[in-house]
Amino acid sequence: MHTTRRNFLKLTGSAAVALGGLDAILAAKRAPLFAQANPVKIGVLPIKSGVAATVGEGGMRGFQWGVDRINAAGGILGRKIELFIEEETNPKDTTERFRKLALQNKVDMVSGGISSAVGLALGPVAEEMKMIWVSWDATTQKGIEETMPKPKYSFRSTDNECEAVMTSIMAAKHWKGKVKTAAGLNLDYTYGRNNWDAFQAITKKYDMGLDYVLDLWPKIGVTDLTSHVAAIAQKKPDIVFASLVFAELPIFMKQAHAAGLTQTTKFIFPPAGLQHTAMKKAFTPDGIIFGHNSMYFEAPNASPLLKQFTKDYHEKYQDYPHFESDRAYSAIMVYKAGIERAAKAIGGKWPTTDQIIQGMEGVEIESFGGPFKYREDHIPDCNFYAGFTTSKNRYDFSTIDPVEIMHTKNLQPPTGMGFFKWIESWKA
Amino acid sequence: MIEAALAIVLGGVFNAAILFLVSAGLQLVFGVQKIVNLACGSFYALGAYFGISAVQWALGAGTPRPLFLAVLLLSGVALAAIGPVIERLLRTIYARDESFQMLLTFALVLMFEDILRIVWGPRTHVMGGGLYTLYGQLPFGAVKIPVYNLLVILAALAIAILMGLFLARTRFGRIVRATAENREMSEALGVDMARVYARVFTLGTALGTVGGALVVTSTAASLDMGIELIVDAFAVVVIGGLGSMRGAFVGALIVGVLKAVSIATYPELELMAVYMIVIAVLVLRPAGLFARATA
Repeated sequence: MHTTRRNFLKLTGSAAVALGGLDAILAAKRAPLFAQANPVKIGVLPIKSGVAATVGEGGMRGFQWGVDRINAAGGILGRKIELFIEEETNPKDTTERFRKLALQNKVDMVSGGISSAVGLALGPVAEEMKMIWVSWDATTQKGIEETMPKPKYSFRSTDNECEAVMTSIMAAKHWKGKVKTAAGLNLDYTYGRNNWDAFQAITKKYDMGLDYVLDLWPKIGVTDLTSHVAAIAQKKPDIVFASLVFAELPIFMKQAHAAGLTQTTKFIFPPAGLQHTAMKKAFTPDGIIFGHNSMYFEAPNASPLLKQFTKDYHEKYQDYPHFESDRAYSAIMVYKAGIERAAKAIGGKWPTTDQIIQGMEGVEIESFGGPFKYREDHIPDCNFYAGFTTSKNRYDFSTIDPVEIMHTKNLQPPTGMGFFKWIESWKA
Repeated sequence: MIEAALAIVLGGVFNAAILFLVSAGLQLVFGVQKIVNLACGSFYALGAYFGISAVQWALGAGTPRPLFLAVLLLSGVALAAIGPVIERLLRTIYARDESFQMLLTFALVLMFEDILRIVWGPRTHVMGGGLYTLYGQLPFGAVKIPVYNLLVILAALAIAILMGLFLARTRFGRIVRATAENREMSEALGVDMARVYARVFTLGTALGTVGGALVVTSTAASLDMGIELIVDAFAVVVIGGLGSMRGAFVGALIVGVLKAVSIATYPELELMAVYMIVIAVLVLRPAGLFARATA
């Protein structure tokens, strides 16, 4: 065919239109490729009932807040998140729900886990099923050392002892030379016993010269601590180190205050943050070392993210958030960041599970408490908050001021190192 | 030293006072209706939550603060209005096997826990405002004893005496005792059994709800508080004897004081000490200290 100038223009014009159209079609297909695909399915295991329900509720609220924001911004690489919410109860039932989420709901990831016992059971199941599990708060030192030495699919919590380490260091820093005797009042399970061991090891390391005069082990959920208060009063310790996590904490404080114990004794409450709004000014004295774990809602360094979350939380629930919200929020945000990082490395495709895991390792996100990332052994590095109680605030409960912030690099042993060997290695 | 020991024992007696109220409700219902009502722990928890709300509402409405104890008592009594409703449900299983009865009342425990969570949320509820120490504190060696604790002990004692008088001296009390002894004979003599059951169950409910309302000032309302108490209440009824009011009184004292002394002397024995007594009673006097053995 003879090609005239007019024919040539027609041909190239048509080709350009055709190519342009094709490009547009391809672009349209490429950009919303994941948007048109199924949603990202995520299983959640919050505690909903019993004494720890308040912990699960705080976690679920933080997790949901994160998911809502991700979905409002278009999802993860264009895929919206769909939640499958089950429940954390005992280890056996929770692992069965984990399997159900994986096999029946075919979720892409499971998040949740607060109880140490449940965490120790979930880890091996996650590894066996090759399912990514991002824990909120379920890990103990024993678990790290023995049950999951090198996890691939499990992303765990910080050492449970972190808050005990931080508050014990604060006690040494502020009270060394001013106190001679200490009593322990710690919940009768792994967490409480680990914390009391940590306190004794650290105060010995700092050469505080403490005499440990009493150790009491109330059961979880106990609603009367008058006998414990009387037993403590009898020994007259200078410090009471109390790892009380649930309703036992305000009950103890109330009964200790009524018995006059707060006039003569100093207190350390490592995990108090979970009950912070129940610690009413009427019975909570100033000057208690009070741990808030990985987030303090009124932190002096509060980011716009934390301020927004606290504002939204208060408007919606007429309450103030505790650190479990931070644990759960960081879980979903690390998963999202891991996918995006992995996708970028492979040219924008949706990554495989192994690639997502690689993406999650070491990726840093901003959580409510500050920068958050997982170490190579899948244990988080983040900030921890504690301080001295004060009643000088606009609430009906005690807050902390001054607030001290420490990083987990100084609160938990490095990868592969035992807890007590790590403390021995300190230059106190 | 003696003052310290007395303070520890008083702590145990305070715990025993609350245990007695809940156990007495359990005993009364079993004595007459032959139902082991596990939901007595739920009534106790409900009384605590409702008591906090009632006090907050009453103080907000201008009630003088010293009257908060009266508000708590009234809220506990008012809450007993749920008794007839629950009893109506239990009528369907009076003739069934005991295991069905326990299953149904356990189902009620779980349902009530959900109701508490839905209405009040899962967080711990605490009565603030210094109400616990409003009536003052008495110096007692190294510790101070809140006057409120003594008032609760006195209230439990008064309720025990009134219950005794009610069962021994009133016409309805005699009917209740007759029904507990021989239901068929009482029915044959014209006793309206449905009415007796509804009233007895309501009274049992009131003992639990009043117990919960009274205790919440010194403690806190939390979802598990009912289940926690049921365990101790069962130790009380095994020691005292199922169905015996005197048994509830003595059993509660034994459990409360024994736990307090264990905590002060050898904390690891807190639970074991109580269950050693339970085992001893089961082996040596299976019907309990105050119940008559049946063939």
